[in-house]
Amino acid sequence: MSEHTSSLPAERGGQEGAVKAHKPAVAHLFWWFMFAQGGVLAAILLPVHILIQGILGPLGIVPVADRHYDTWVNIVGNPLVKLYLLVLIAFPFFHFAHRLRYLLVDLGVPAARGVPAQVVFYGGAVAVTLVTVYILLTTVPISFG
Amino acid sequence: MPRGWWTRRSNYFWYIVREFTSLPLALWLLWFLVEIRRAQDGPAGYHPHGSLGFVVFSVIVLLFALYHSVTFLSLAGAILHFNVADRPIPSQLIVLSQFALWAAASVVVGFVLIYFGRT
Repeated sequence: MSEHTSSLPAERGGQEGAVKAHKPAVAHLFWWFMFAQGGVLAAILLPVHILIQGILGPLGIVPVADRHYDTWVNIVGNPLVKLYLLVLIAFPFFHFAHRLRYLLVDLGVPAARGVPAQVVFYGGAVAVTLVTVYILLTTVPISFG
Repeated sequence: MPRGWWTRRSNYFWYIVREFTSLPLALWLLWFLVEIRRAQDGPAGYHPHGSLGFVVFSVIVLLFALYHSVTFLSLAGAILHFNVADRPIPSQLIVLSQFALWAAASVVVGFVLIYFGRT
């Protein structure tokens, strides 16, 4: 019997089991929150960034902030923009990590269920978050101008 | 499950495509992170991506991004349940609100990117 099933309060019985059953699964809550929010943010914000910064800007159809050094530094230095960029980049990676891990499971890679795979995928999302924080803090000084 | 099961029915295939959308989106965001870092190169060394190959890559990623958006936001009607005056809000209205939010966010982000891009 798996660890998950054996922890059901009905099988353990008694007051101790009932207390444990009501203990919030904080880690579970955290990862599902990150997965859901990452999915929402990617759905709502990414298409417009890709359209404008990846297609219309490079083709010269519209002026875009990242096409010139001065305009890019001006906008990236804003602390609100830095916070926005952190949310925009970091959250979706937790969503991607979960989906890609289960993509491998669905495609018949049982190792993707294991703890090492979880460490690689979710650890990868944490690593991207830390790198993003580092880049945002060290690339352009914070400026309100 | 037999290998290649997802190729046997179209809804299985599109389910796998939905899961796969994460990969191109992740790659594009990593590029975006590089673009942010390039601001460190100074005015003389700053060269944003602008090749035709990058535009083609972005077009392909945009298709995956739109598929992710449509499928993910459409699920909101099944996941979110709200009552107003003890009456449940119709799921179609919830989905519509998600698409409206997507449209509004796109307009705001697009405006900021273009407005602050004027030289």
